[in-house]
Amino acid sequence: MTRTITIDPVTRIEGHAKITLMLDDSGQVEDARFHVTEFRGFEKFCEGRNFWEMPGITARICGICPISHLLASAKTGDAILGVRIPPTAAKLRRMLNWAQIVQSHALSFFHLSSPDLLLGMDSDPALRNVVGLIQKHPDIARKGIRLRKFGQDTIRILGGRSVHPAWTVPGGVREPLSAENRDLIKEMLPEAFDTIDLALTLLKDASAGYEDEAAHYGNFPSLYMGLVTPEGGLEHYDGLLRVVDSGGKILESGLDPARYREIIGEAVEPWTYLKFPYYKPYAYSGPSYYKMGMYRVGPLARLNVCEFAGTPKADEELRAFRQLAPQGRAVNTAFHYHYARLIEILFALEKIAETVEDPHILDERVRSRADVNQLVGVGVSEAPRGTLFHEYHVNEEGVLQKVNLIIATGQNNLAMNRTVQQIARHHINGNGGKLTEGVLNRMEHGIRLYDPCLSCSTHAAGKMPMHVEVVAADGEVVDEIIRD
Amino acid sequence: MTAKSKPKLAVWKFASCDGCQLSLLDCEDELLAVTGEVEIAYFLEASRATVRGPFDLSLVEGSITTAEDAERIRAVRRVSKTLITIGACATAGGIQALRNFVDVDEYIAAVYAHPEYVNTLATSTPVSEHVYVDFQLRGCPINKWQLIEVVCAFLNGRKPVIPTYSVCMECKRRGITCVMVAHGTPCLGPVTQAGCGALCPSYNRGCYGCFGPMDTPNPAALSQWWSNGLGVSEADLVRAWRGFNAYAEPFRKESEAHEHI
Repeated sequence: MTRTITIDPVTRIEGHAKITLMLDDSGQVEDARFHVTEFRGFEKFCEGRNFWEMPGITARICGICPISHLLASAKTGDAILGVRIPPTAAKLRRMLNWAQIVQSHALSFFHLSSPDLLLGMDSDPALRNVVGLIQKHPDIARKGIRLRKFGQDTIRILGGRSVHPAWTVPGGVREPLSAENRDLIKEMLPEAFDTIDLALTLLKDASAGYEDEAAHYGNFPSLYMGLVTPEGGLEHYDGLLRVVDSGGKILESGLDPARYREIIGEAVEPWTYLKFPYYKPYAYSGPSYYKMGMYRVGPLARLNVCEFAGTPKADEELRAFRQLAPQGRAVNTAFHYHYARLIEILFALEKIAETVEDPHILDERVRSRADVNQLVGVGVSEAPRGTLFHEYHVNEEGVLQKVNLIIATGQNNLAMNRTVQQIARHHINGNGGKLTEGVLNRMEHGIRLYDPCLSCSTHAAGKMPMHVEVVAADGEVVDEIIRD
Repeated sequence: MTAKSKPKLAVWKFASCDGCQLSLLDCEDELLAVTGEVEIAYFLEASRATVRGPFDLSLVEGSITTAEDAERIRAVRRVSKTLITIGACATAGGIQALRNFVDVDEYIAAVYAHPEYVNTLATSTPVSEHVYVDFQLRGCPINKWQLIEVVCAFLNGRKPVIPTYSVCMECKRRGITCVMVAHGTPCLGPVTQAGCGALCPSYNRGCYGCFGPMDTPNPAALSQWWSNGLGVSEADLVRAWRGFNAYAEPFRKESEAHEHI
């Protein structure tokens, strides 16, 4: 008989989710679905608000990466004002974004994923968490917690508080950086550099024991999308959209991000609140029309689309990263999101170190002022999890008529489903569909590779019914199971 | 002290952005000390392990937006000796409570091609509308020092020391020039509970009410100030009252008073 196995809730990810596995008659995994079950309604209730309020409102979409929304929203506001913000304001915003990348990636690696890597996927679930890590490897846990703190403290120093700061605004930032505060950031850097070196060593040592995982965790060809500098370097705040395929071929080399709608479409499925963005030129007609347009975003994608990082240490690691794939091809294994994340932390730290030495960073001109000049604005930046799009349509008074948000996690939706399916097939097929704690956790780990932020990605919409239906090939509902 | 005799702490999430529970992880240095004092028995963000209740202290983040949520919060109450809500979503319904003022079906239809798949309540409501709450910690997001104070107070069996006066007190204490009196910037500080350290006024910006209504506020007087003294329009008044604490009663009533349909 066909069976369905549901894992609910998926833990150590941001937000609500569950996984459903569909087994066929012989106990083989036929399909796997990753459901998102929360609905909040942001795009709609933002209508009628003023675009000046949007950085503050959209920051509340997510407490993990409020900075991404603040920046994308402020950039959208810049476009509506039609202004070029002062160069120092842009540098400060970049620094804020790098600080966020450090804190978010450190949270993903140390707090959420390293318990699996350092304590083992089959270890006691009661201890396989940050608390268990503190007990078993107190020194590593302390350093990881402090690395995240570096990012949070830098955000706090720049923006006043670490969650939902009110510092970035359309036209620039509210306050210039003071010399004392710059020095505070400078003083914290050496320890952060030491910790990232340790994390890279830890991951490389631990990876040796996870060759099987590396081979089966989301190892499939897909497209990759991310921002690059005009020269093709690694970029997180501004720049141009680039799309490459798994062979390393560039499909879009330098598209103005404001034209994103020309290449990105959004599909909807009945079983999840998370939409499925896809690369339009690869879509074809038919029921699964959008699946060929699967692309991935985030650290792995950013390293796959860029030609170089642009800082010495990160470039050295990037060369090692490239060795993971045959010459010239993209790194296709989602397991290497971990490595990509650490390289990005290193890059962000190097860039912050560079920025605090900038002779103009204390400049007091940090805000351009204007009124509504454009009725449509698009703001794009790289969130820790991938490319983030905000698009606002306003009237002459700046009141929002229409809002569209495309979130990083949503863009990885197709790939996350594929990854769960791949891991489920590898671990469950042939053993009659028996689920062990280790297998459950491997699937969760597969999802966590993408570091999905579900609060963000379901900004759009409540909650799915928590039961799962099993549909046989002829369309008949044959079973229904829920696991607590 | 053996592991068994430690108080059991649980952290629950409903509709929210996760920012408030992350404030617990934000207690970086303190986190190491906290794990020595309490057993974190249920915290999905951090762990897969769930220890069975009862729990000595439950921290609840997020608002109630679905029928399942309403069931689940009652179950959480049953297994919790003390239940504390953290953040604007749990104490006032959060920013998503803006849906309470409109037709929710319209929201869903705007976003989803198949609205029939979406099963959600018409409202986003605070936890206290569903179960008894022992203490409500305000803020969007909460202040981590206040969170530590609340947890410590619980551990020591005393009442938490959380001020209920307005943001104005914090401005005065920090020596910040009043943005409304001096610059004519509309500010919700006079009716908003302290806790943020007067963050926005310190950046020359008006308060926008993250910490919700203070104890016995006078929103009507403030509206009058805004419209007569500062020339704020009725539509802007409605928007100002409808922020992250839109569904908190004093703010809700005040926004409705200025809504002319």
